Amino acid sequence: MRETPNFTGWRATILHREDSNTERLTRQLKLIGLHVNVQWEPLDASDLPDIVLVDADQGFDGLLPWSGEHAPCPLVALLGSEAPGRIAWAMEQGVGAIIAKPLASSAVYPALVMALGIHKERKAVIDKMNHLEERVRLRPLVHAAVERIIAVRKVDEELAYTILRNCAMQRRMPMEQVAASILGGAEPLPEAG
Amino acid sequence: MKNAVRIGILYSTTGPYGGMGRDGRDGAELAIEQVRATHANAIEPVFIDPHADIAAYLEGARSMLRDHGCRHIIGTITSLARKEVIPLVEKHDGLLWYMCPYEGFEANDNVIYTGGCPNQHLLPLFDYLIPRFGRRPYLVGANYVWGWEMNRLARELIEDAGGEVLGERYLPLEETAVERIVLDIEQRRPSFILNNLVGPSSYAFLAAIRALGARDPAFRPENCPVVSCDLQECEIPDIGPGVATGQLCAAAYFDTVATPENTAFKAHVSSRFGPGRRVSSIFASAYASVKLCAEAIIAAGTDDPTAVSRFLSAAPLPTVLGPILISPDTRHAALPFHLGRINDSGGFDIIASQPAIAADPYLTGRRMRLPPQLRIVS
Repeated sequence: MRETPNFTGWRATILHREDSNTERLTRQLKLIGLHVNVQWEPLDASDLPDIVLVDADQGFDGLLPWSGEHAPCPLVALLGSEAPGRIAWAMEQGVGAIIAKPLASSAVYPALVMALGIHKERKAVIDKMNHLEERVRLRPLVHAAVERIIAVRKVDEELAYTILRNCAMQRRMPMEQVAASILGGAEPLPEAG
Repeated sequence: MKNAVRIGILYSTTGPYGGMGRDGRDGAELAIEQVRATHANAIEPVFIDPHADIAAYLEGARSMLRDHGCRHIIGTITSLARKEVIPLVEKHDGLLWYMCPYEGFEANDNVIYTGGCPNQHLLPLFDYLIPRFGRRPYLVGANYVWGWEMNRLARELIEDAGGEVLGERYLPLEETAVERIVLDIEQRRPSFILNNLVGPSSYAFLAAIRALGARDPAFRPENCPVVSCDLQECEIPDIGPGVATGQLCAAAYFDTVATPENTAFKAHVSSRFGPGRRVSSIFASAYASVKLCAEAIIAAGTDDPTAVSRFLSAAPLPTVLGPILISPDTRHAALPFHLGRINDSGGFDIIASQPAIAADPYLTGRRMRLPPQLRIVS
């Protein structure tokens, strides 16, 4: 079971012209424990808040200082329109949850929890993908190290691979890294068996 | 105001929580009679009984708001019913007065909450229990949002305290087959048991724990209490005489609260409902809510929810629960905390109390909570 998300002390920026929606939203966010700033100008990339709530009806490119779907913090769209173009804009910014306008106060906390959860999940997926891409990129090094072990130790491919894997496990390092060390001469060639 | 202002009273007097509904209805009715006697029929009640049927709650609330011209509804017991009624109340710009303890995580502009959320009942209850009984509880609950959320919070409190939840089980609202749960409790031997069951399943559970305690002293209330945040005086006769004696309950009000206001209030209740009638927190909260509602309407000269809310947040108003101030932000009342131990005469002996606690429905202050300052009175 997930822990109760606690937003106490978080900084929220609402990118929206001030109106009855932002008034109600500010009140509810403060109640949930956040510090709130309302502005209708592009967000400063050097001073990002902990969570952003953006007007997806009026939002324009450049309002958020990032591109693509990799928002650096949880992002919530405030949306009254049903126009597909506006929904697409929100998704392009990396929105994790939508609060419909006119805003019901009961929609705010669930949206924060959802946006935070989606943000964490996306970040975990991106991190994992970067990690796997790195390993795929280094795969030829593993192959080269296996070839070297076969040549020097006069063993078959299966045993050479086992030697390399055991060496990585003993040192608690990824195989790619051990392979690179062996090929670079920083690591002595592991003994057979 | 030329015409009487109509106030809707929406309680189920039958079904699994009918006892609570009857107390809510009677408390509201007593308050209305008193206001009508002193203010020349300024308010007029519209009673609707949904008989624990969710669709009937919606129909009833719609009829109050649309056909009867009510802008204020006192009522609903369960969170399920409250959540159903709220959108209608919002649509008609009315005010729902919800006066039961509930699981928190809500603060709606069209609701006044006078029953208490977890930082007013569950948190101080655990502050009391953990040092005295240990941090290995067993959690039981009714299979809906009250049971789920109260047990989820309890689990967090226990994990924060470095303890362990030994079991967590749920029963449908009217299920009374508790044997397997009680067997599991007997084997796991918890420090205490948090009971979020409602109505007949709760009564069956308490009876089974009583039988277990008779076989094994480790499960007597002084060693392994069954604790809850919603057990009412009106339910003790249904549980059976002596069956729940020694078990604990947290509430903002007990019949036994020793204040002059409560003594006077109980005299009114006795003269209206007979001398045997015990007052529950639901009875008292419904009574206080109607009194506050009527007082605010009369003072504001209108039943407009904004004007009424402004009056309720301006200064504390005296009630049978003590002075009540509604937070303009959370819409919740600050409430005192009392811990009651069920006695043989079907009431609660108050064993610890805390002065009024401001509501924190989203538990924003939980991580910076001050150490508890319980005043032990016995």
